[in-house]
Parts: sequence; structure tokens; C-alpha cells
Amino acid sequence: MRGVITIFRRELASLFWTPMGWMLLVAALFANGFLMWAQLAAGGGNVTAALQASLGRGLLFWMLLITLPPLLAMRLFAEESRTGTLEYLLTAPVSDAAVVVGKFLAATMFMAILWLSVPIYGLIVQGLGTPPDWIALGCAYLGAVLVSGLLVSISLLASSLVRTPLLAAFLAFMACFLWLTLPSMVQMILAPLRELFSHWAGGWEAAERWIQIAVRSMDVPRHFLTSFLPGVLDSAELVFFVTWTSFFLFLTTRSLEARRWRA
Amino acid sequence: MIEVAHLTRRYGPLAAVDDLSFSLQRGEVVGFLGPNGAGKTTTMRILAGYLPATKAERVVVAGFDVLRESYEVRKRIGYLPESVPLYRELRVDEMLRFHGRLHGMDRLALRDAIPDVLDRVGVLDRRKQLVGHLSRGLKQRVGLAVALLPSPEVLILDEPTSGLDPLQRAEVRDLIRELAEEHTVLVSSHILAEIEMICPRVIVLDRGRLLADGTQAELLERWAGDQEVRLEAVCGDAAAAQRLLSSLPGVRRVVLGERQGIHQSFAVFGEGDLREDVGALAMQKSWALRELSTRRLSLEEIFAKLVSGELAPMPDGVVQANPVAPSEPGPASAGLLTLGGAPPQAPAENQQTVPAPDAPPLSAPAAGGGQIYSLNPFDRGAARDLSKPVARDPATPAEEPPASEPKQDGDPA
Repeated sequence: MRGVITIFRRELASLFWTPMGWMLLVAALFANGFLMWAQLAAGGGNVTAALQASLGRGLLFWMLLITLPPLLAMRLFAEESRTGTLEYLLTAPVSDAAVVVGKFLAATMFMAILWLSVPIYGLIVQGLGTPPDWIALGCAYLGAVLVSGLLVSISLLASSLVRTPLLAAFLAFMACFLWLTLPSMVQMILAPLRELFSHWAGGWEAAERWIQIAVRSMDVPRHFLTSFLPGVLDSAELVFFVTWTSFFLFLTTRSLEARRWRA
Repeated sequence: MIEVAHLTRRYGPLAAVDDLSFSLQRGEVVGFLGPNGAGKTTTMRILAGYLPATKAERVVVAGFDVLRESYEVRKRIGYLPESVPLYRELRVDEMLRFHGRLHGMDRLALRDAIPDVLDRVGVLDRRKQLVGHLSRGLKQRVGLAVALLPSPEVLILDEPTSGLDPLQRAEVRDLIRELAEEHTVLVSSHILAEIEMICPRVIVLDRGRLLADGTQAELLERWAGDQEVRLEAVCGDAAAAQRLLSSLPGVRRVVLGERQGIHQSFAVFGEGDLREDVGALAMQKSWALRELSTRRLSLEEIFAKLVSGELAPMPDGVVQANPVAPSEPGPASAGLLTLGGAPPQAPAENQQTVPAPDAPPLSAPAAGGGQIYSLNPFDRGAARDLSKPVARDPATPAEEPPASEPKQDGDPA
């Protein structure tokens, strides 16, 4: 636990020691500000809806989500492996799991700080006299952090698999993109198949039902959009995100361990 | 402190460390020596708990098994990899604080320990500098400071002097020698001079195997036994001269060197200082000398020869001379050198060399019915008077008057 906190603090601090971290934050603040202004103008003054556009309804949110975690995570293992500091970290008296969790928390915390730009605009709007729906906004914020955490954990796994930071970022980007678009892709594939197997009606329907269940249990956007964004805090949804995130963190720990055997 | 028994580590089919066993007592400073790729770094990584062993009977560091009690081991060692991994974006004291926290040191302990350890490695004035801005030598020192901070029982330093300039090297060496007083230290290097200066005890590795393990004196005693006399002379037939030299008492083997013009060089190996006898022989045969010198194997050469396989490694024990020279003691071994017509032990090709134009010592046969010279310096034990020519040795039965010899052999020179 001590190791987790030490590593978390160092990783988070080192994000703010480089100009990169600040640049990302400023860019996010600007983009979200512009988005809110545009939504506010188009939506006839619905403050909460305008703020939610930055937290999930807009495309920008998802684009940031599949680009930022890979970029953050590529430093965490691939780059450390390249510069040799991973050897230092893995011979320090901390467990591999503590290293993984510390790094994961730092990257997720950075994303959480990044999404803070939305509540900041909420505060400004409130100061101007129109309070937004804080409960809905808080729920959306929590959901955004959870989705970010899940994508960070996927990116960490990619980062622990390779030694080249750029390759790690690319792999992570592909993985995040596939993970988020999986449901619509499966639908696209299922549609022509349905006609192909039309003569085998009963069997196909059963098979498709299973596929749909499997896909739904991995469908991140749906879980986020139907629960957190409208302001519903559902424990099942929390479990969904926590489970998948833990699963990928577990795989990352295993991958670090395997690296010792391969190295 | 460190105990390794039958350690093997494979990378695929390649065995980086092959059945390695050694141990270090508390307070010992041991040098790991070997060419690149000998398995030094792999062994150190296994000791530090970074890599697991493929197979090992026992790998114990500071009383704990490195695989099962890795955490306990890691708390007790200071490991500095060759690349000196430090976080570039941290300042020197921040890096140390981070390391200290990983080791569970609290704020108060760190406040005292950090300036202390920085002072020890001599970078106290750089404590606020970014690690990434430090030169190689300074980084190396900071790396040492990091390894030293939790005052570990065992220090494992992988090539701590690589990439440093001579001055920095000397400083790091001094530092390690100082550390030796409080810690058990394992240092690796592929440069023998470094190890020679730092470590009393040396472990020589090559291709993952242990070649030698002992103090410098022990290694010298074991492998530098034979002295080498280098002889370069105009001596006509080289093979014949080689045979003559081989028959000198005390000579184990004679290696033919290269021939430059009329000069042929030899390396004569044997017990004690053979210059006397080789010189006497040369005089007797009227070989025009260009060089006659002696030297013992240095640790450096022992290392080179061990690695190249010229010297047999430890487990086989005995020093095996390479069967380069035909130095079998023939009938002449009684201290008498037979020469001429058909020496009984002469191989066939020798007969063919006899008519060669520049082979007068061989083609001047008959005189004494074969026996012309006694060169046994130990005929009368160590009491032999070395100031006198050997040929006057009265103990030799078939002796030729020395005066006659120049007449015999001197002409072609």
C-alpha cells in the first residue's frame, strides 16, 4: 500500500513536471468551453445538457478518451522499460501489483483532473445565475472517470506488452477504439449473417441472443450513456466498470511478471 | 551473505548462466569478471530479484531465498544496474526521497540520511539539480547514492565504472573500497584492471560458466606457475632449435613464434628462470640473439587465457599446457642433449630438415658421438654456480671441452 501511494505520487507529479500535462489540460479546457458555448447557443439555454455534451454526448469526449489514455500509458511501462527504470522499479521492495495500481491511479487521476474542466464551467454558469443540475453532472463526471479508468487499464496492458512507447500508444489506441466500437461493429457483422442463416431460424436466434448478451456485457458506451449520463447511479454499472478495469489491471500485472521470464 | 548453488538461466536455447555456484561471506568484496555476454548481468539480475532463475538449487541473498522471499531480499540489497536507471525528470534529492519511501523510510530518517549519503558520494552540491541534466559520472554517483540510501546489507553493482573518464573511475573505485568496510559488495566488470584494484577476490565467468574463483594471489599461484622466456635469435632450423630448447631441463614446452627474416622467435615455458640456460644454449650454438627476456603471466593474461580456453578452468584443477610443442622428454632427459646423425627420438621430417643450408648445429654431427653438451643446471641441485658456463659442468659424464665447441658450430653465424 505504501508502495502504491509512493508510486502514485511520483507518477502524477511527473505528469505535471513536463509541459505536456499542462498543455493537455489547457487544450481540454478550451475545447470543453467551446463545446459548451456552442451547445448552449444551439440548445436554447439548457445549461445541464450543454455541460453533458462535454461529458459523453459529444464526439469530442470519446475522441479524447481513445487518444489520451494511450498517450499517458505509453510512458508508464513501455518508456520505463526502454530507459531501464522499470528494472529499478521491479527490484525495489514493492510488489508488481503495487507498481501497476500506483501507475493506474496516477493516470486515472490525471484524466479526472482533465474532466474537472466541465464542473468548472458549471460553477461559472452558476455564478452567472443559472445553476446546473449538479447531481446529474456529478454522476456524469463519475462515469467519465470510470470510463477513463477502464481505458487507462487497457492502455496499461498494451504498454506492458511492448518496449517501444509509440508502438504501445498505437496498440492501446487500436484496443480502445475496438473496445468502444465493438457493439456497433458486431451489429454490422450480424446483419448480413442473419439473412445468411435465415433457413436455420431457431438455432440462429439462440446463437444471436448469446452473442448479444456477450456484447452487451462489454458495451462501454451503452453502460455509460444509459446510466451515468442521465444521472442514475446504478451499483450494477459501477460493478461493470470496476470488474473490467480490475481484469485488465490483473492482466497487466501478469504481463509484467511474464516480462521477467522473457527478458 | 550471498549463496548461489547450481544456478542456470536460459534465454530460449541459449544458457546465459550455466550451472554457476559461488558464495560470498559477510563483508567480502568480490569482483565478477568476464567478457561481454559472460552472464554477469544476468546473474546479478537474478540476485536482485529482477529475473527468475530457470533452474537453481539455491539462490540465497542476505539469508532469504530470492524467488520465494523476493520482498525481503529486495529490502536488504542495493542494486545498481549498468544503465543507472534514474528518473530524469526528478531532482537528485527527490529521486533519493522516492527511493527512500519505497523502502519505507519516514520523513525524519530521510531528512538525515539524504544529505549524508549524497555527501558520501560527493554530490551534495548537486542535490537540487535535475537528474537528467547530470553528466554520466555524476549520474553514476547518484545511482550509488540511491543504492546506498537504505544502507543495505548487500550491494550489487553492475559495471559501476563503465562510461566514466579515468579520473571518475578512480573516484568511484575509491568509493567502492570505502563501502567495502560496511557492506558485502559484488562488483562486475569486463575490465580486469578495475577489479584488480577494487576486489581482493575475483570470480571469472565466461559463457555462463565459472572459470575461476579465488583471491588474486591464489589465481596467480594457480595459473601463473610457468614462467615464459622469450627468445629471438638467428638459429637456422627452427624445428631443430625448438627440439633443443625443449630438451633443456625444467622446460615444459616450447612454442614456435613467428619468423622475421632470419630471426626466429620462441616462447619457452617452464619452471623458474630459464634465461640462464636458454642463454647458455644460445651461446653454445652461436645463435645471434636479438631478445632474451622473461615474464610471468599477469592476472590480465590469465583472464584472457582462461576465457580463450588456453588455460583449463577451475574444476579440472591442473594447469594444462597446450600440446603445441613436441616437448616429450626423450632419452635426452637425463640432462644430456643428443644431437647429430639420427637422434633416436627425432621424427621423420627432422631428417629432411638436416640438409637445409642454414642448419649448421644439426649438420655438425659426429664429433662426440651424439652427446655434446650438458645443460642440466640442477645436476648438483641449487648449488650450481651460475656464474660459470654450464658446459664446464664436471658432473656430466660425456663432456666436451668447451674450447672445441665454437670450432664446431661457430662458422655459419
